[in-house]
Amino acid sequence: MVVEAMPERQSASVVLMFAGGSRLEDDRLAGVSHFIEHLFFKGTKKRPTSKEIADAIEGVGGFINASTDKELTAYWARVPAEHMNLGLDVLFDIVANSKLDAADVERERMVILEELRMYQDQPQDYVQNLFEELIWPGHALGRDIAGTEDSVSRLGRDDILEYADAHYRLPNLVIGAAGSLDEAATMSEVTRKLSLRPEANGSLEAAPPPSLDSPHVLVRRRETEQAHICLGTRAVSYLDPDRYALDLLNTVLGEGMSSRLFLNIRERLGIAYDVHSFTQKHRDTGYLGVYIGVDPKKAVDAVNAVMAELRGLTENEVGAAELARAKEFTKGRLRLELETTNGVVFWLAYQELLLGEINTIEEEIALVDAVTGADVMRVAAEVFSRPMQMSVIGPFSRDSAFRLAIGA
Amino acid sequence: MPGRDPQRGAERIRKAIALVNSVADEAGDEEITPTEIAEAIRDCLELSDVDAVPNVRRYLGEALDAVSDGMPADFVAMTLYAALGALREGT
Repeated sequence: MVVEAMPERQSASVVLMFAGGSRLEDDRLAGVSHFIEHLFFKGTKKRPTSKEIADAIEGVGGFINASTDKELTAYWARVPAEHMNLGLDVLFDIVANSKLDAADVERERMVILEELRMYQDQPQDYVQNLFEELIWPGHALGRDIAGTEDSVSRLGRDDILEYADAHYRLPNLVIGAAGSLDEAATMSEVTRKLSLRPEANGSLEAAPPPSLDSPHVLVRRRETEQAHICLGTRAVSYLDPDRYALDLLNTVLGEGMSSRLFLNIRERLGIAYDVHSFTQKHRDTGYLGVYIGVDPKKAVDAVNAVMAELRGLTENEVGAAELARAKEFTKGRLRLELETTNGVVFWLAYQELLLGEINTIEEEIALVDAVTGADVMRVAAEVFSRPMQMSVIGPFSRDSAFRLAIGA
Repeated sequence: MPGRDPQRGAERIRKAIALVNSVADEAGDEEITPTEIAEAIRDCLELSDVDAVPNVRRYLGEALDAVSDGMPADFVAMTLYAALGALREGT
């Protein structure tokens, strides 16, 4: 358990963060973690309907929600500080006492199938899913967190109960609390109320993704007004010491309106309306990707311009002023993220669960400050020498020009 | 490089793009035929600077193939823009 007293705040946030997520699911169980997360909000013995669960928290002006990721699942509540015990009570109730009714399973299955279809109608999101399929082909990391229409259609209630029993156990859990709270009283409340089973059941070891030896292009033809493109390479894990250099590389390249992609491709060349970069990091892998939203006629031109920006980062060190700006951007974003009790509790629980240790904000900032221009160039050279992967959604009937652009 | 004139190459590619775009946008009174577009692309391929910059000739070749295969004008335009962009990056 991680607790951070923030006595000047009016709120308290609590999170139950479970190791697991979609990465641990095989093809048959794809989407089960996300399915369970939905079902946990359908009712418990004490609060039999979803309305009663929502009312308990919203009745005091609070928020309750959950999210499933590839390596974790989190349930959280943010409430006025005097209601923190209520927040803990509701969260413990839904993860330990959910009814998981057969009728709810069927209703929620329909909701999730609609959710999956909805994403396919949102090309800006869907193109990233396709990109992840290319980055981690045939691996659970490359699959949608919500599973596939096939797997979600087939998941049985018994599969769900078995998976929930195996994963919702104490050894897989980090509890976080932050805000205007008393640490000892919070610990005592957790000990008194938490009733998950204490022994582990099964392994949380996940298979590493297979190696990726060549560039690939995946074009999904859709008669869209804009082309949606994701391209990038595998990068580093969240355990890799180079993650700070990678984050600064990403900031220089494509985060915000003063990044190179924005200034050169949107502002100077006027090729793309939306162009930015992003990273994803997991225990043993990760990627750096670029999204481009562009007039279909300019699609390959935009890809070439992005490739030129990537090359530039491997050939020349980022200048001192640009690096300093990227550092301030990164540190500033971290500080802003930690303004809220919710931000703090997620930051602490995430570090405890995935990294196994907690850095203070000062330690984290020192690691960012220690990165040099040479580090950024070295990481860029290493990352961008890996095979480029690219997914495209748009009105394209052949992929040859795209292949030419990335050498596939 | 002796005889190399990137401005001329870019100009010819822009001319080909304008032709293709007028088909794509269904603009203008005169009907532009695929033969005319193919001719405009071949004019680009004649210039030496298309070989001085990587991939420019290949994009132009792709565009010519696309015209021959009856691909949509937007697709031909995209490939020509790619050639123009490659020329820009390389000069």
